[in-house]
Amino acid sequence: MTKLTDTRFPAQNAAQRSGTRQKKSLVQRIAKGGFIASLPFLAPALAAYIVFVIAPMISAVRLSLYRWSGYNTDPQVFVGFKNYVRLFTQDPVFWTSVQNTVVWVILSILIPTTLGLLMAIALNQPLIGRNLFRSVFYIPGVLAPIAVANMWRWMYNPNYGVFSEISKTLHIGDGSGVTLLSDPKVAIYAVFAAFVWQIAGLNMVLFLAGLQGVSKELLESARLDGANNWQVFKNVTLPALRPTIVIVVVLTIVHSIKVFDLIVGMTGGGPAQSSQVLALWSYTQSFLNHDFGLGNAVATVLLVVTLVLVVPYLIWSAKGADDNR
Amino acid sequence: MRRGGGGSNAGGKTTVEWWTLNLSAPAANQAIDKVIADFQKANPDITIKRTARATDAHKDSLRTALGTSAAPDIYDYWAGPGLGGELVKANASADLTDYYKQYHWDERFSSAALAPVTQYGGYQGVPWKLNGESIYYNKKLFTQAGITDVPKTLDEFTADAKKLKDSGVTPIEFGGTVNWHVMRILDTFLEGRCGSDTFDKLVTKKADWSQESCVTAAFSDLQTWSKDYFNPGFIGINNDESSALFFGGKAAMALEGDWFNRTVVGQKMNPDDVGVFTLPTGTNRLYGFEQAQYISKDSKNKDAAAKFLDYFTSTEVQQQTQGVFAVQSVNKDVKADPAKATSLDKAVDTVFNSTKGLYMNNDQNLSQSETREYWRIQNLVATGGMDPKDAGAQMQKFLSSE
Repeated sequence: MTKLTDTRFPAQNAAQRSGTRQKKSLVQRIAKGGFIASLPFLAPALAAYIVFVIAPMISAVRLSLYRWSGYNTDPQVFVGFKNYVRLFTQDPVFWTSVQNTVVWVILSILIPTTLGLLMAIALNQPLIGRNLFRSVFYIPGVLAPIAVANMWRWMYNPNYGVFSEISKTLHIGDGSGVTLLSDPKVAIYAVFAAFVWQIAGLNMVLFLAGLQGVSKELLESARLDGANNWQVFKNVTLPALRPTIVIVVVLTIVHSIKVFDLIVGMTGGGPAQSSQVLALWSYTQSFLNHDFGLGNAVATVLLVVTLVLVVPYLIWSAKGADDNR
Repeated sequence: MRRGGGGSNAGGKTTVEWWTLNLSAPAANQAIDKVIADFQKANPDITIKRTARATDAHKDSLRTALGTSAAPDIYDYWAGPGLGGELVKANASADLTDYYKQYHWDERFSSAALAPVTQYGGYQGVPWKLNGESIYYNKKLFTQAGITDVPKTLDEFTADAKKLKDSGVTPIEFGGTVNWHVMRILDTFLEGRCGSDTFDKLVTKKADWSQESCVTAAFSDLQTWSKDYFNPGFIGINNDESSALFFGGKAAMALEGDWFNRTVVGQKMNPDDVGVFTLPTGTNRLYGFEQAQYISKDSKNKDAAAKFLDYFTSTEVQQQTQGVFAVQSVNKDVKADPAKATSLDKAVDTVFNSTKGLYMNNDQNLSQSETREYWRIQNLVATGGMDPKDAGAQMQKFLSSE
């Protein structure tokens, strides 16, 4: 058999045959699947990801080690970790922005998530006008944050705003109207109220989708076993919603860490930088103060905080995907 | 990246790229277009290509373009150390000493107009617009409050504010979200309480903010005024929203620049019902700021750019456009036409003529980061979040950390 083959395929074609074997091997590997096989399909997206996400991240970290005004005429001067030292020990606004970002994330996990879940449960019942309510609650989620900011800024206007008029009518305070955005202690929470208004409907839609996956058989059998509404919710609905809850919480964290537009539109970080957050402070240092070193140091801190919060989710979701194979 | 910015130079025809800030008044834009058209008619070998942008877009464009081939030949910018000065420091602006000699610009501009462009050594930029700020007041509301004469000192100013408040109106309006609006009155208190010399030393970091008792006095004034005499909730609204209180007769005073003359008319107020008085600091200096036209350091068309700026700031052109960009021209030979001037224009003209020297808005004097800290402290004091006694020390701490 070997001899016959050798006769039919002359010696000079050995290299070609070897190449064919390699080609076959590649084809086989592609057919088999795996990273190499998926690379040609991933390449365009990967290239865009590297150019638009990874490279700017590396550039931001690099710039955080330099002093630079952002002008091409001004040379970048390597200063090591001086920007970080200045940020942590001398920047009068940095720790306020850290505190506000943390408070914002915690409140975001608690309030709009719970509100979204409650609305979803309510609108999962056979109510009259259910679809109308679903649409009404969802609409704020599709509005541009800057439009929401403008709208709420007018609502908070101390001279013409609806809250001011209500407080005057009800004789709350000294009668001059409430000035929520003017109070450094309250401003960040006043902006947060607008965030809740915008994001709760989005969470509601995700929870509604999750609720459609709760087994009706399980719900019925729980009720047949005598469980009341709370017991059904706690022992059947909530466990079934676990993947949805994780997604909602992670999306909320991501949304809340990068909050920018609402703050810019409503307070600009004020009054007296009291509503400043990390994303806006990074922008302010770079583009308004022309201190790109310090601005990118803030961006790097934000990157680390984001990774600390999001990487566990990525590991969890990757593990879940592996388990499902 | 290739250096050497500016417009093109092809076929014996030079194109000068000129980047300016947007001019809101249609008359101002028409005036600029006419200046360009007339210049090009007289100089057919030079084309002026003007690109106007909003404030932030203008700043962003300059930051990315200066030092590259995309840089303009001429750019319009504020002349204070915190703005135009930062670009000079960043090596973006050309020293125009030779052109000042060639065109005798030293003799053309007033000393107040020249001061901001000569402060960095040499001649950085050509002055084109000097705006002065003062107090605009509603004459009827002043009369109702029993005020018969305008205040000459800060103490009289405060006493009048009390009278206005007692008569049931908001004494003065400010919009706090933009920071620089409230800053104007803090600058006024600093100039008034510290005097010109100390004010200048403070903003040039030659005096210690924590050691000057006048700094505490100025911040105390700010706290008193913001608590008792500003419109309630001022810090949560912007200057346009607060100006509506003045136009609507709900606030008696506004601290504005000479551009406000046109706004008053545009808002259907009778200019005869509005008066103007110099900020009562007691130093007799004009409060204001200047815009200059800078030539990029890497411009290949410096000669053509200088020729255009010479034409733009000439007595002939400035006389034609008098009152369009500012009440007074930077060209000292240009005189206002009394026939065209409103009573408000004449009042502002009196403010300009009765003062000597200039103290600039502190967002012009300080760097951007220093300005932001100044605003932070200002707003904390204004909202009761900081004791005025701590304000100077806080400011000095920041300045020392740089």
